[in-house]
Amino acid sequence: MTPRPTPHDAVRLLSFDAESRLFLRLRATLAWETVRSMLVDSRLRLALVVVLSVVFWGALYGLFVEAFTFLEALHAEVISLLFNAFFSSLMVMLVFSTGILMYSGMYCSPEARLLLTLPSRPESVYAHKFHEAIWFSSWGFVLLGSPMLTAYGVARGSAWPYFVLMLPLMLAFVIIPASLGGICCMVLVAWMPRLRVHALSLAVTAACVMALWLGWSMFSRVRMDAMSAAWFERTFAALAVTEQRLFPSWWLSSGLLEAARTQPDGSLSLPAMMEALKFLALLVANGMALQLLAGWVARIAYRRGFSALASEAPSRRRRRASSFDRLLGDTASPTGRPLRLLIVKDLRLFRRDISQWSQFVIFFGLLGLYFLNLRSFNYNNAYAAMIGFLNLAVVGLILSTFTTRFVYPMISLEGRRFWILGLLPVHRDQIVWSKFLFSFVGGIIPCSSLVLLSDCMLGLPWFMIAHHEVCCLVLCMGLSGLAVGLGARMPDLRESSAAKISSGFGGTLTLVISSLFIMAVVVVAAVPTHLFLLTTAFGSGLVTSQGAIAWAAGPWGMALSLAIVILLGFVAATVPMMLGLRFFRQLEV
Amino acid sequence: MIEFDHVTRTFGPKTAVADLTVAIPRGELFALLGPNGAGKTTTIRMLVGLLHPSRGAIRVCGHDLVKDPRAAHLHLGYVPDEPCLYDKLTGREFLWFIADMFGMPRRLAGERIDREIEHFELGEFADDLAESYSLGMKQRLVFASSLLHDPDVLVLDEPMVGLDPRSVRIVKDLLEARIREGMTVFMSTHTLAMAEEMADRVGIMVRSQLRFLGTVAELREQMALEATTLEHLYLELTSPRPRDS
Repeated sequence: MTPRPTPHDAVRLLSFDAESRLFLRLRATLAWETVRSMLVDSRLRLALVVVLSVVFWGALYGLFVEAFTFLEALHAEVISLLFNAFFSSLMVMLVFSTGILMYSGMYCSPEARLLLTLPSRPESVYAHKFHEAIWFSSWGFVLLGSPMLTAYGVARGSAWPYFVLMLPLMLAFVIIPASLGGICCMVLVAWMPRLRVHALSLAVTAACVMALWLGWSMFSRVRMDAMSAAWFERTFAALAVTEQRLFPSWWLSSGLLEAARTQPDGSLSLPAMMEALKFLALLVANGMALQLLAGWVARIAYRRGFSALASEAPSRRRRRASSFDRLLGDTASPTGRPLRLLIVKDLRLFRRDISQWSQFVIFFGLLGLYFLNLRSFNYNNAYAAMIGFLNLAVVGLILSTFTTRFVYPMISLEGRRFWILGLLPVHRDQIVWSKFLFSFVGGIIPCSSLVLLSDCMLGLPWFMIAHHEVCCLVLCMGLSGLAVGLGARMPDLRESSAAKISSGFGGTLTLVISSLFIMAVVVVAAVPTHLFLLTTAFGSGLVTSQGAIAWAAGPWGMALSLAIVILLGFVAATVPMMLGLRFFRQLEV
Repeated sequence: MIEFDHVTRTFGPKTAVADLTVAIPRGELFALLGPNGAGKTTTIRMLVGLLHPSRGAIRVCGHDLVKDPRAAHLHLGYVPDEPCLYDKLTGREFLWFIADMFGMPRRLAGERIDREIEHFELGEFADDLAESYSLGMKQRLVFASSLLHDPDVLVLDEPMVGLDPRSVRIVKDLLEARIREGMTVFMSTHTLAMAEEMADRVGIMVRSQLRFLGTVAELREQMALEATTLEHLYLELTSPRPRDS
């Protein structure tokens, strides 16, 4: 059959520019609608995001101004090394994060299936998904990098062109690793679809091993004081690998350092600025070249990869009850059969959902690595005790993000299966309590282990460790009660996306109350200890002259603080649970 | 208008479609039937260019789906079994996006969008965000979008899922009218009554093979069963037990 010409004058193939404009309009409309929906439906969440971002930005800015002022005065040469280390780490992370985002956007999303059935160019679809991915993968970089670089310019007394060039340099840099991530993703999927998971695991493992090796070589050979000359010497040697001239991270840091350079009298240095512009041009040129390459790869590999990915034989996963499930079933037998079955069911769902436990493992794993390195520094007692409390707060905050993201939506997610639960001989209270037990037991094991690890590494005495463990128990109980109770009080039974449920009003409220609860517990627990250490450090003068402080720093003060902490935990767990149970009992589905 | 030329599609060691050869002329409604896992969805996905055949070629209006997918897509309209819309676009904005993607002139696109909104009775909610639509409303919108550019070939994968009886009637009437004007329809369905009522020819796939190709009357003749329904014939043909002679 001879090809039929274009069906009629009504339709025609668009040029690449016209397609790009169309996708740009689409993204702009979607972005505007998203913002408008947030302004109308999620004002609290939007306000929180803005306020917390501003606070975060301001805190980082203040911290970096102090740090750069200190480094400029004592170790100016280290700044170049720090920039190189920071940007090269970010470069690696951006390659991975953009690659993964591109994979899910280009190969797993319903939108990709729609666009590939329309007369659109594969390179246009790639460019559309690339813009989406680059936004998601790099906003954190800009949020973290902009206060740091602004602080550097301020501490260094740079002229105004530095501040103007800062953002273009960062954005031009971001395009390079993001394009590399996109290209790697398309090549892997098109030509090695079966190996993509192995290749990604191998690359992530290699990056982690390299990071661990760097950390180990800096901190772990000999115990020494941080910021000493020997420590700096070792750190310089270990980080020298990040100063390769072919790394875009080196181009970026060199461009920034040149742009920040001024004449001895503080005025603008034109030669330095020209150098900075050359580095910007280098970044832009390489970014554009990689985009051209990515477009070419998309043209030959995208449709082929999409089809190749579907060529894998659908895996039939047969799962039998694991010995862990049986053990849990036996252990939970005192709770009664229905509760036990519900807990085992939730555990199976959690275990088989990689997105849940992988984040859990990554965050708690990183925290564990940090705690393992605590021994490398020498602390005095007051410093160690305060770090112990701060670590406790960090463990609580990470747990709160998990309870908000994964535990809070659990009741809502039962909505579509409610006909099953509703027909079972199970009281509704038992459904809610099973979620509470699941969250509490699932949280307490890693959290108490991490707190124990942190305290042991800091060399804290046993009574402090016991104190922290009690606080940890209270935090897990309170956070579980808040997430499950509020989740049952404000269920969204029609929504099937956990992410959407947790990012709604109820999820945001849970996160805010959880953060306040953690702060209250840690502050109440830390004050007597801090006062005790202050009186120890400053002698009895403080004790005799300040009777209230002496009392608060003594055993009665400690006991009172512990009682308040337990009371706080009790209130945080029971009040939301009671509200949730009452509402859930009467809920009509 | 549609040609499957010795098309085979494998998923690892499993063959989903084996040596499929079918030609569907202009103005025909072809219904592809078969039990779950027979290879119908794989066939449809190859026909709309989402999957490449492992062997053989598929052509739409003479354009090879692998070698020249964009030209083939200009002639195609597709209604998937699970409607995909942008939640944060209104129905009308989605229709404009599709019209623009097909390069339709603004004035004509506006007229066609109004026409399809009227045909599918979308007026009431065309300016609401798609996230608020029910499954049936989404399906009607996808139907409207697939007909905007008056395609030569319309591919339907389980088209009636989620539609209420009135919408089903609207769709049937529209399809009949378009087929009279020369549009070719390739439909995969489990609704045998609809296939019997509307299809010019049916194809029955069983375990990746096209077991039968022809009209319902020819099927009756082949099975030596008279005055029986397509459902009966289908169940006989796809039964795992050998038929009593």
